[in-house]
Amino acid sequence: MACHIYWLILMELFCVSCEVSEPVDTMCTEVIANKSYSCEDLGLREIPERLPATTEILDFSFNLLSSLHNSTFSKLKNLVYLDLTRCQINWVYEGAFQSNAHLNIIVLTGNLLMFLADTAFVGPQSLKHLVLTETGLTSLSFIPMQNLDNLETFDLGSNHISSLQLPPSFPTRNLKYLDFQMNNIQRIAAKDIDILLQTKNVTLILKGNDITYIETGAFQSNLFYSLDFGGCIDISVVLAGLQDTKTHTLWLGSFEDVENGLPINPPMLQNLCNISVVDISLQKRHFLHLTAATFQCLSKLQRLDLTHTYISMLPPDISGMNMLEELILNRNAFNSICNISSTTFPSLTHLHIRENAENLDFGSGCLETLSKLQHLDLSHSSIENLDCCSKQLKGLIRLQHLNLSYNKQLQLQDLAFKEGANLELLDLAFTRLHINASQGPFRNLHLLRVLNLSYSYIDTNIQHLLQGLQNLFLLNLRGNKFQSGTILNDTLFHQVPSLEVLILSFCDLTAIQNQAFHTLKKLKQVDLSHNKLIAFSTDAFSNLKSIYLNFANNRIHIIPRDMLTNLSGQSIINLSYNPLECTCSNIGLITWYKQNMDKIEDPEGTLCCEPKSLAGAKLSTVTLSCGIGVAGIVCIVLVFILLVAVILVGITRFLKRHYQQL
Amino acid sequence: MKMLNAAILILVLFYPSLSTEWPTHTVCKEKNLEIYYKSCDPVQDFALSIDGCSKILTNTFTIRAAMVLRHNINVLSLDVNLGINGKSLLVYSQKVCEPNNRRFIFCGKKKGEHIYYEGPVTLGIHEIPQGEYTVSVNLHNEDHLTVACANFTIRNK
Repeated sequence: MACHIYWLILMELFCVSCEVSEPVDTMCTEVIANKSYSCEDLGLREIPERLPATTEILDFSFNLLSSLHNSTFSKLKNLVYLDLTRCQINWVYEGAFQSNAHLNIIVLTGNLLMFLADTAFVGPQSLKHLVLTETGLTSLSFIPMQNLDNLETFDLGSNHISSLQLPPSFPTRNLKYLDFQMNNIQRIAAKDIDILLQTKNVTLILKGNDITYIETGAFQSNLFYSLDFGGCIDISVVLAGLQDTKTHTLWLGSFEDVENGLPINPPMLQNLCNISVVDISLQKRHFLHLTAATFQCLSKLQRLDLTHTYISMLPPDISGMNMLEELILNRNAFNSICNISSTTFPSLTHLHIRENAENLDFGSGCLETLSKLQHLDLSHSSIENLDCCSKQLKGLIRLQHLNLSYNKQLQLQDLAFKEGANLELLDLAFTRLHINASQGPFRNLHLLRVLNLSYSYIDTNIQHLLQGLQNLFLLNLRGNKFQSGTILNDTLFHQVPSLEVLILSFCDLTAIQNQAFHTLKKLKQVDLSHNKLIAFSTDAFSNLKSIYLNFANNRIHIIPRDMLTNLSGQSIINLSYNPLECTCSNIGLITWYKQNMDKIEDPEGTLCCEPKSLAGAKLSTVTLSCGIGVAGIVCIVLVFILLVAVILVGITRFLKRHYQQL
Repeated sequence: MKMLNAAILILVLFYPSLSTEWPTHTVCKEKNLEIYYKSCDPVQDFALSIDGCSKILTNTFTIRAAMVLRHNINVLSLDVNLGINGKSLLVYSQKVCEPNNRRFIFCGKKKGEHIYYEGPVTLGIHEIPQGEYTVSVNLHNEDHLTVACANFTIRNK
């Protein structure tokens, strides 16, 4: 008996393995017909024969190639992008890409390369991007420089390179991005990188190298776009080496998973006075004495990132910061917005104080002098304000974007954003709002384009809530509740005639009245997903030529066909995850659905629920035969006539016999 | 017959399509505290250890973790779900990496790179509850693709 079971198992195994052993090339996914294929993680040992010669993009990552020969890719003459990430390639022999003249990008991430032939990269006419990240490189001399002259980006991160000594043949003509992150480079001499002088605006990433020495003037008179020394221990070493350098961005920050560097004291930043830079990041650095002297050499900056630098106050006597346009103070510990000494930064256009560790006091007029401020981000900062926001935003006449999301609670008074008449975007998501206004709290925001009120627990009964928002383009009301779960034909949405995008998901809605959105002539996208709607109706929307309607995750069973037929043009609907009936009472939907698959979003999730026999089947696969066709009617009529004739004949015979006997 | 048994057993055990689940790893096994985890990413397993198990009760503890990235992580989001008896008690999410907010040195790594993290972890929970419960951890990237997924079983007596 046991033996029989084993045979059965064996038989089954063979059956399964029959399927598995089909030709491997059928398993690559076609991303774009004849052009782009993904063969990721299929355990392939060679390039599938069946890939068309026209293939331009090939993702061949996580397979098993061990070596690359001149015949490996010889059939794919049109290759532009080749991803060979983690293919266990050890050997790249001569002319491995010689047939691939159009090849632009080669990715060799995560292959332990033991040998690269001198002509390994010969063939492509214009190889622009070469990724040799984590390939076990110990020295740059390992890489053949033949035919790399056109390189724009060169990734050499996560290797064991200990010297930045760039050989004379190093490609610099078009180089824009050179990445040496997470190597073992400790010392940089002037002659190591003098070849980089030939090119301008390069980004050089040296993040995660433990730099202990840079020869003074090594980077002298160079013009870089960005220099990244992230995670280095001693900033003064770097700054001493960067004397007389010009760079747009200088990244000197550190990370949470990196050993703390030396704390910064004012003399350490002295050398910054001789470096021309407009954008500096010092994230996750400690300041030993944060005084006005610390900022002495930062006065020419346009952007300063002090994220997570453990500061609770900026010294009030900083001077000369007239050029700073963007100040980032995220993840610090300010008690009050007044503690950032805003008078110091008169030119500020962008200010970020996100994720403040303390309850942030919004203060009163603390930002008054920032008359040029356009973007203000105070999200995730535990702000709790009972009288918002006129006093707080006093003087911010140019403010365009205001983010107060993920705070504790705000009480919006009449004309709450009196000072923000130029606001275009207002984000109040996940901040509990109490509206105390007799008129619309936003009624002066005539330029407002985007208003996010998701999960703000607003009282949607307030009829004048959206008063004055005549230019509002997007309104997000996700997660708010409406009285009795119904959107009425009242005036709430009549005040926002320019609305194009409306989000009403997770609102516990059970019904929408027919005229609720009728004044919204420009409406293009409506998200009603994750509600309790029973009926699908297009009556509420006036524009049905190019509308996107998301009704996913509701309780819709049946949709009458006439609700769908007027959806024309570019319209798209999503009906996924509704308990749709696949019975003859829903034949209107099912026939329309199959004819209009181009209008359906997420057909994979649009499934039948009833009857039980079809539960879980995709709507597109269901065929129903409902009602009586013409042939059926003819048949029934014929049968009926025949029956009548037989009865008649029967009766006459019976009568004849009966009377003959008389 | 015994030989055949063994052969079939081996076949069944090693047959790839029959063993889609990753093994359960033990992180802690002490008198009062047991922690196990299992990868719920169908593509790969990952490695994790905690230095000094009892320290987990102090909220911040040191871990060592390693994995190979299957996707780029310019954005990395963390979702943690604490559950008892199949019911979710606490849901916690956080952005670990963003293009303008690279909190960790591994932020921005690309598909195929290896990540090794050795450092402190702070739980968003004030007290480790007593009893047996599950913690599911999900890391996903900018395209909502799974970077890592793990189900932890914790017994705290």
